[in-house]
Amino acid sequence: MKFFLTILIMTAFFSAVDAQKEAVVFENKMEVVPGGNYQPFFVTKSNKPITVAAFKMDEHAVTNLEFLEFVKANPEWRRSKVNRLFADTNYLRQWKSDLEIGEKNKNIYHSPVVNVSWFAAEAYCKWKHKRLPTIAEWELAAKGTAKNIKFKSLTDYILDWYRKPNLPVLPNVKSTYQNQYGLYDMNGLIWEWTFNFNSFIASNDSRGSDEDELKNFCAGGALNVADKSDYATFLRFSYRGSLKGNYCIANLGFRCAQNLN
Amino acid sequence: MIQVSKKSALLKQALPAILLFLFSLLLFSCKSNSGNATTEETNIDTTITGTVTAELTVAPNVPKPITYTSPKKVIVQLETIEKVMPISDSSEYTFWTFGGHVPGNFIRVRQGDLVDFTLKNSPDSKMSHSIDLHAVIGPGGGADATATAPGQSTHFQFRAMHPGLYVYHCATGPVPLHIANGMYGLILVEPQGGLPKVDREYYIMQGDFYTKGKYNAPGLQDFDETKALAEDPDYVLFNGRVRSTTGPNALQAKVGETVRLFVGNGGPNLVSSFHPIGQIFTKVYMEGGTEVSHDVQTTLIPAGGAAIVEMKMQVPEVINLVDHSIFRAFNKGAIAQIKVTGNENPSIYQKLK
Repeated sequence: MKFFLTILIMTAFFSAVDAQKEAVVFENKMEVVPGGNYQPFFVTKSNKPITVAAFKMDEHAVTNLEFLEFVKANPEWRRSKVNRLFADTNYLRQWKSDLEIGEKNKNIYHSPVVNVSWFAAEAYCKWKHKRLPTIAEWELAAKGTAKNIKFKSLTDYILDWYRKPNLPVLPNVKSTYQNQYGLYDMNGLIWEWTFNFNSFIASNDSRGSDEDELKNFCAGGALNVADKSDYATFLRFSYRGSLKGNYCIANLGFRCAQNLN
Repeated sequence: MIQVSKKSALLKQALPAILLFLFSLLLFSCKSNSGNATTEETNIDTTITGTVTAELTVAPNVPKPITYTSPKKVIVQLETIEKVMPISDSSEYTFWTFGGHVPGNFIRVRQGDLVDFTLKNSPDSKMSHSIDLHAVIGPGGGADATATAPGQSTHFQFRAMHPGLYVYHCATGPVPLHIANGMYGLILVEPQGGLPKVDREYYIMQGDFYTKGKYNAPGLQDFDETKALAEDPDYVLFNGRVRSTTGPNALQAKVGETVRLFVGNGGPNLVSSFHPIGQIFTKVYMEGGTEVSHDVQTTLIPAGGAAIVEMKMQVPEVINLVDHSIFRAFNKGAIAQIKVTGNENPSIYQKLK
């Protein structure tokens, strides 16, 4: 009896003082995404279709709890220590402190970690012996047929998510749909970093003529866009185009990829 | 006799030529007059003295006329905000805005000013946004410098070279969607001598909206891409909402006053045939530029364009401002009102038994 009471008290103590320690980190399985041909959204002489080899991808976005493990193991990525060149002042602002997500934030333990920079995301993936997916990989993975969505098309589903303002509390991973590759929440939860997020407007043409035209895609319209009516993809590329590597944004997280071998 | 008749015949022959000469003189003088009225280009070497922060207003209000007389550095800060608001009495829409309202904040600067512009994107935004101000001479009208992610800011400066009333709008791809969601507003560049003094100034901006549900269908309405591509709007609105500027929200004026309206058209698709029912525009700064036309019934306002119009209030009445493509006014919401109060003026108008 006394034994059980002690256990009970201990449990109560731990859950009150440090629910974080008790919380179990979701296992982030990796799923295989078959290779394929990726047609870049912005068409130029140098932007030819890309052949993508099969690769593995985290089944869901990296969560706050997963990221906490990384921060614990890598002190230079603590909020108070991080180099401003690598993460702006919004870095992990949803956490209580350097190493605490915080008791009152326990409803985001299993939500995607957001307010992380590209540098932080890349460092996390490296620590896991993984890497960030390229745009081509991410886009191919996201094209996987969705299971169980109540919309006419995936595009309608995505546009519906885009339309809604950010929720006050970011839902857990695996809370939206799963696609044919077994990946969860490729759309509908957060935006995700890609390895080459801002390279789609770059050009190999040293005269810069392609780039000049493409730079105007914002203002000038859609001269070089593969499918002008694909508003969902258009919005995603505009979003990526406005990013810088040290930006930390409340609806931007990531998941990692890995080569098959 | 013969001589005289010959002379008069000569005169008769010469008369058209003389008249033509006189007429062309008149034309020429008119032209050179309006030539003076149009702008000299801003001398960019003029020294900038002092810094002011621009007063930003929400429609239908307009910032106070500018009182300084030499170019200044003007600080302008606009925030892009995504927000659910009523579009009609029973429908809501997720608007994307400059400053939390449709149309966006009115900006007023003076020709020659150096405008120091910061675009902030609210941390709560889902999307990236940017701004193209038609008053800017430079890449993308500022869009090139202002692709702004949620929670971030961008910064650029430009010289207000030409006076006029200019549209600004978001220029992030897909541009039509950002404009269709309400991302537009007006910036006035006052001429160096200012605009003539009037009794009241108001800000009105037209825009067309495309929703999955029909006009006034209940609940939160989605954007409809098919209708937008077909240029078949459910709503044609002044200031972003059905009845934004009618009844208790009507613009106010008194008999005897001169009212100036700064009118813009955000589009994205429609051109406005802007008309005051029961009034005549005494002045129209055509397309928001420096050419002034007088005594106009209906003026065209292009999508992505503007006009400054003035009216002298003569009798008490409610002036309905409409897009005279009249189904838009009757069925799609394109009505705003000016309520004019004061004494009857039977010499101008009276109802007879």
